[in-house]
Amino acid sequence: MEKFDVVVIGGGPGGYPAAIRAAQLGVSVGLIEREALGGTCLNWGCIPTKALISSSSLYHHASHGADLGVKTGPISFDYSAMIRRKDEVVSRLKGGVAQLLKANGVKVFEGAASFAGRGKIEVRGKDNAVTSIEAGRVIIATGSTSVMPGFLPVSDRVVESKNFLALTKLPAKMIVLGGGVIGCELACMAAQLGVKVTIVEMLEDILMVLDKDVRQTVRNSMEKELGIEIITGAPLEKISADAKKVQGSVSSKTLEADLLLVSIGRKPVTDGLALEKAGLSVNERGFIETDKFCRTKVATIYAIGDVTAGSTQLAHAATAQGVAAAENACGRSAKAGAVVPACIFTAPEVGSAGLTEQEAKKQNRNVKVGKYMFASLGKAMAAGETTGFVKWVTDAETDQLLGAQAVGAHATELISEAIVAISAELTAEEIGRTIHCHPTFSEAWMEAAHAVHGQCIHAAPKRK
Amino acid sequence: MAQAVVMPKFGQATEESTIMKWHKKEGDIIKKGDVMFEIETDKAVLEVESFFDGTLLKIIVGEGETVPVSVTVAFIGEKGEAVPDVVKTAPVSAPAVRQEARQAAPVKAAGGAPAAPASVSVAAAVPSAPEVPGRFFISPRAKALAKKCVIDPLKIKGTGGNGRVVERDVVAYLESKGYSNMKISPSAKSLAAKEGIDILTVRGKGVSGRIMVQDVRNAMAERPKTLSKMRQVIAQRLTQSFTTTPHFYVSVSADMTDLFAYRQELKAKGQVYTVTDFILEAVIMMLEEIPVLNSVSDGRTIRWHSSVDLGMAVALDDGLVVPVIKNATELNMMELHDMAKSLATRAKEGKLLPDEMTGSTFTVSNMGMLDVENFNAIINPGEAGILAVASTVQKVVVIEGQMKIRSMMTMTLSTDHRIVDGATGAAFVNGIKNKLEDIELWKSLT
Repeated sequence: MEKFDVVVIGGGPGGYPAAIRAAQLGVSVGLIEREALGGTCLNWGCIPTKALISSSSLYHHASHGADLGVKTGPISFDYSAMIRRKDEVVSRLKGGVAQLLKANGVKVFEGAASFAGRGKIEVRGKDNAVTSIEAGRVIIATGSTSVMPGFLPVSDRVVESKNFLALTKLPAKMIVLGGGVIGCELACMAAQLGVKVTIVEMLEDILMVLDKDVRQTVRNSMEKELGIEIITGAPLEKISADAKKVQGSVSSKTLEADLLLVSIGRKPVTDGLALEKAGLSVNERGFIETDKFCRTKVATIYAIGDVTAGSTQLAHAATAQGVAAAENACGRSAKAGAVVPACIFTAPEVGSAGLTEQEAKKQNRNVKVGKYMFASLGKAMAAGETTGFVKWVTDAETDQLLGAQAVGAHATELISEAIVAISAELTAEEIGRTIHCHPTFSEAWMEAAHAVHGQCIHAAPKRK
Repeated sequence: MAQAVVMPKFGQATEESTIMKWHKKEGDIIKKGDVMFEIETDKAVLEVESFFDGTLLKIIVGEGETVPVSVTVAFIGEKGEAVPDVVKTAPVSAPAVRQEARQAAPVKAAGGAPAAPASVSVAAAVPSAPEVPGRFFISPRAKALAKKCVIDPLKIKGTGGNGRVVERDVVAYLESKGYSNMKISPSAKSLAAKEGIDILTVRGKGVSGRIMVQDVRNAMAERPKTLSKMRQVIAQRLTQSFTTTPHFYVSVSADMTDLFAYRQELKAKGQVYTVTDFILEAVIMMLEEIPVLNSVSDGRTIRWHSSVDLGMAVALDDGLVVPVIKNATELNMMELHDMAKSLATRAKEGKLLPDEMTGSTFTVSNMGMLDVENFNAIINPGEAGILAVASTVQKVVVIEGQMKIRSMMTMTLSTDHRIVDGATGAAFVNGIKNKLEDIELWKSLT
């Protein structure tokens, strides 16, 4: 029986970095992947959606070039070519992961893992052949999958994100069930390519994780610029599908479309793992409980990413946990970073880090907020991208930067400055005194930091 | 004419109380029976009602202030009426208030004294900084530097005249502590400065030992906090008792098997008694037989109590109280049961009257429900003993050469060796044991 010091189950954005980090620390590492290296992120999530969004957003900008004095002839697109390009990007990255694992001496097993004991794992390959391996430490990184409730009709016209990304032809009309991150991103992408999109969200608004001012900016653009219909505060009922269309009703209004995209959440993947044979169990919601060191209740078994309770369902969070878990499995003591940022690739984009204003207030903290609008920013005007703003959420007593959100052009890149500042526990005063390049979008952070103290240079003082 | 509202006296032993909350403000119309304010005595939190109708003219004792009983805390009268000058007799309250202030100062210093003491007098009031003989002198530049670095200047040895701490002393001190190598997040520093935490006392747990906000919060959480009034009273009384009364302990195990069976029998008949009821009754009978256990001594005199006022310890979420069964010898079993139940229920609800919590002559502490094999209790001041009752556990016991499984309960008497000797203590606990094991006795009593 082959023996490894560390065995990682799952080769997604949590699992493969865990395997590489463990290998760097000089132990023998095996990695088991039942579907595709890179996991959801690389194959059916972060990367492919961004490849498509790059295409759709370029098309959208090209169609609106006249604003900046660029004249184009009639513009068209080839969705199947976009899909081909997306697939190429995915396959190149997947090859890269395989190479990295090989270069680090990680042995990859293709197949489904199943515990046969605390340190014993059976891998069932595609040919049904079973290989048994022994593991000193195990890191479970099996991720999550889309929730598809039983009341939905089974049809080609009812898809979740993974199947949606495999379509080579866009529908003319699409209903998106669920106004979370995945639903909104794909809705924007499709709308930019001319699909008539309706989002139905049961909660009072879309993107509820964000502060109200931020999500209103996004919603406004989605509705006015992209023509997306957004229905909130009501469930989609009486859903049916036939060969020609899908149907549903919201508050007695009937919706009809060619496709229903279901994006109402994700659930942990533990099927077939036989966790009980390792002495492990899942909680009532199906997640594996872990502590801040990624330890499960079995001393030699760790779990990271979407499969764990309290997960943020973000690839980068899984990666950070994967690295920490690998170090802990190798006898070090590591915690993943405490500040987990998030990016949303809607149009406009959103970046968020630390506490939102609503979260900070819920904690009864005395907060001060500083905000700076892109509409007042020289570079934003020059670029013709004046929608959006950045905001700091600070502690009124210590001036500590507790959180930040950015919405608008480049927001997903802009947020990185805020992540560093929040992680390092800088104060608003320090960001305000840090010289930022002119003219850039980043200047907005400096101005917003001044705004915390009511000392903006490029904004009129607030009337008292 | 304006009426003085005075701090009421709840219970014989209460000498001072703290106003926790005013329910009315100056100018409010008051009706007789309105709740005016809440006070915390050494025993409980109580609401105080008005005896008068009128307007609340002036509040003299504010929230958080402690004053002796009978001191004027407010005036009620006609709207616009002048308040008597007696107002300023309030200094009676000053000793108590000042005492609180004195307690507060070292509390702050111990957890890392204020980074920049507001004045020299604060420093002088801090007894826990032994390097500071009497007064503390510091130069303005030294003070500013210490403040900037968020450190406690009281810990610095001064080399200037009069032992004054000057800038070079602070610089040398910082160097000796390796301050320049310390990593501190800006927000952590800002928080420490605001909270008066000496940054040198904070253990950094960030990357490579960087002091983060959470580390300062940990240091803040470690600062001493004033105990609740109840805990302070517990601390004071038990310390006094344990350090001035020579305790000794005698334990016996009672076989409760038959009594438990008999209790079930009674229960089946609709007569419900707790195990505690039987123990209390047995103790009451023994206190009558051996009255020295129902007395109190100060080491020179002994005072005999003419009645058995039995205290029973009741655990609360944040402390314990000892309600008292007065004239316990005069109660029959059913009355005893009702009284014990009523007191325990009201104790847990915080509804005991002050006099129901004072004046016990002997105490029983039953931890039977807490799964303990035995424990020693501390005698309540003013008493000669306390009986600690542990859980009843199944044990193998040898009876007439045979091994039997019996329900055994260990009781430990703590008693004052100045007036009670071993033989008396042994007789007392064995008396209780014999009574508990004597089913015929209980048959006659129930």
